[in-house]
Amino acid sequence: MVRKIIHIDMDAFYASIEQRDHPELKGKAIAVGKGSERGVVAAASYEARRYGVHSALSSKIAKKRCPHLIFITGRMEVYKQESARIMDIFLDYTDLVEPLSIDEAFLDVTENKMGMRSATLIAREIKERIYELTGLTASAGVSINKFLAKTASDYDKPDGLYVIKPADAEKFVEQLPIKKFHGVGQVTAQKMHRLGIQTGADLKRQSLPWLTRHFGKVGLHYYNISRAMDQRPVNPERIRKSVGTERTFEKDLQENFEIITGLYHIEKELMRRMNRSGSYGRTLTLKIKFSDFQQITRSKTLPVVIDQFDLLHRHAKEILYQIDLGSRKIRLLGLTVSHLETNEGQEAVQLELDF
Amino acid sequence: MKFVISSTELLKHLQLIGKVISTKNTLPILDNFLFDLSGNQLQITASDLETTLVTTIDLENVTDEGKVAIPARILMDILKEFPEQPLTFNVDMETLKIDINSENGKYNLTGANAEDFPQLPEIKSEQESHFQLPSAALHQGIGKTIFATADDELRPVMNGIYVELKSDNVTFVATDAHKLVRYRRTDITPEQESAFIFPKKPASLLRNILSKEDAEVDVRFDDKNVQFVLPKYRMISRLTEGNYPSYDSVIPSDNPFKLTIDRLEFYNTIKRVSVFSNQASNLIKLSLKGNQLTVSAQDIDFSVSGRETLNCQYEGDDMEIGFKSSFLQEILANLNASEVLVELSDPSRAGLLYPAEKTEENEDVLMLLMPMMVESETEVE
Repeated sequence: MVRKIIHIDMDAFYASIEQRDHPELKGKAIAVGKGSERGVVAAASYEARRYGVHSALSSKIAKKRCPHLIFITGRMEVYKQESARIMDIFLDYTDLVEPLSIDEAFLDVTENKMGMRSATLIAREIKERIYELTGLTASAGVSINKFLAKTASDYDKPDGLYVIKPADAEKFVEQLPIKKFHGVGQVTAQKMHRLGIQTGADLKRQSLPWLTRHFGKVGLHYYNISRAMDQRPVNPERIRKSVGTERTFEKDLQENFEIITGLYHIEKELMRRMNRSGSYGRTLTLKIKFSDFQQITRSKTLPVVIDQFDLLHRHAKEILYQIDLGSRKIRLLGLTVSHLETNEGQEAVQLELDF
Repeated sequence: MKFVISSTELLKHLQLIGKVISTKNTLPILDNFLFDLSGNQLQITASDLETTLVTTIDLENVTDEGKVAIPARILMDILKEFPEQPLTFNVDMETLKIDINSENGKYNLTGANAEDFPQLPEIKSEQESHFQLPSAALHQGIGKTIFATADDELRPVMNGIYVELKSDNVTFVATDAHKLVRYRRTDITPEQESAFIFPKKPASLLRNILSKEDAEVDVRFDDKNVQFVLPKYRMISRLTEGNYPSYDSVIPSDNPFKLTIDRLEFYNTIKRVSVFSNQASNLIKLSLKGNQLTVSAQDIDFSVSGRETLNCQYEGDDMEIGFKSSFLQEILANLNASEVLVELSDPSRAGLLYPAEKTEENEDVLMLLMPMMVESETEVE
């Protein structure tokens, strides 16, 4: 049976909430985040995006690109509240809601609680209800699978509603520039360009063995989506796969003791987050961004779950020591645990000899 | 140069030394065997720079002398396909073209310049330590300990076997901090005190050779390299530098509780019960009460559990201790004895395992395993 999938993506979610709550900011280029020397833009209004300001950009560069940019300190609690109200609207239509993040979700409305046959009408109604309830606009994509729905919501932003009908799906994908494919990042797009792939049609011409040779496991995914196929179900119980935290430092770290101290605070925060969520993992990943913005990650998987601070501390340090930092300065440190297991008081720790 | 050699004999030698050849050599010449024909003796060398293996074969039918490097992969591949028969190798020393003539065929390949093959390191005689032991003893020393070595990039010393010479014994030690094995031979008396750390890879290669050769092994080492000489084989290997942890200080000397149990029965019970253990932790629990040992495991995630109770001899307080079952199995598999003696003290302290009775007069085997602790409650801030 042909599925009906909607992807709803809030337009500049954090920034729009700030503009709504502070009318004097309407129509202005604003960025949520710290404007300090070493801050990072968490979200940018559409007015700011015109100047090339986007999330994860360093505040310093953002200001250079858009000198009149206004920085607003984020209010995570408010954003979470609004997000929950919006998710409630979705649940009026279907229980098959898969939140991707705080401001976007997939809905499978093939069978829906309203008995509505047109997914397009449902999407329009949801958009209207979000606007009435929160004063915020959303973009919706409607199609037969997650990949197409997500691509569609991106196609007509902001406040858009774009439908890719089953009959048009393949043609739509064929003409789509490769960098517009959801899940194809900048790096992959560049690699594809080098391999002579510019559009969906170019991608479709490649054989599955060729794709797996060049892209590994995701090759199959590319093979499928170039044919507008995506069997992934909308999964309302998608569990979080990792817990992590990161920090950009006020001043670049260079001395060994500074790095160890910086890492220690991140370890503490990560432990706090693991305890709060009750999720503990076995794989620890350290991310380092250097002052030249070059970034590396190193992981380590342990036979036991990291549920004790001393275990976390020891292994985080071990990963750090294995990296040849040279004389490079560190701008950002991040730690993530994945391979999650919920701790039910059953974890065993292998003791070690004390050499 | 030209020589005739038995296809299976050559293959047997190449298989033993060829394992050293790495698939990711930095030097292309190391993808070759070095053939060196001198008099009636053919000497073949393979190396990965860290470890070099040399074998010698006495030949009857030779013409001229010389050296050539022959591509290892293609040579091994073709030798595997021959039934036993004499092969004639004919090497043109000018062009390094090699003809191999078999009963029905002729195979051509091109060798590389023997001069490019790295020189063997020498053991510095002024720093040299030296002892001899039977190949079987060395085979045991490596075989009993190698499973307990670590894979720890941060502590490379623990990735090797520590070979310690005392005036009246030789001791082989390996540990990954979870388990430790100490294998001592009192029938070998080096009459000097010295030690080296033998990396895992060459140790395993040497073990293969030792299993096929029964002879006295001559061992010499300095601070950088070790050399093992057997009648037909020779290995020179770089040693791991650094200080080995003081293993004796972590071996408890006063574990008061003593369990004696049939090794095979214990081993098989653990194998069965561990099927029901948590896949990640592999934890099994041993409960001791009176003269009974209960082995149990559970995996809460899948609601499965298993237990078995065995009769044993036990002197000590009732206690429960957890171990990683895969470690305990490895240890029991490496103890050659019909009964094992397990010495315990506390659920958080090391357990010691020995053969209950010595099978070899001159052998002293000790295996140590650190327990696993169950965290009954999770700290929540």
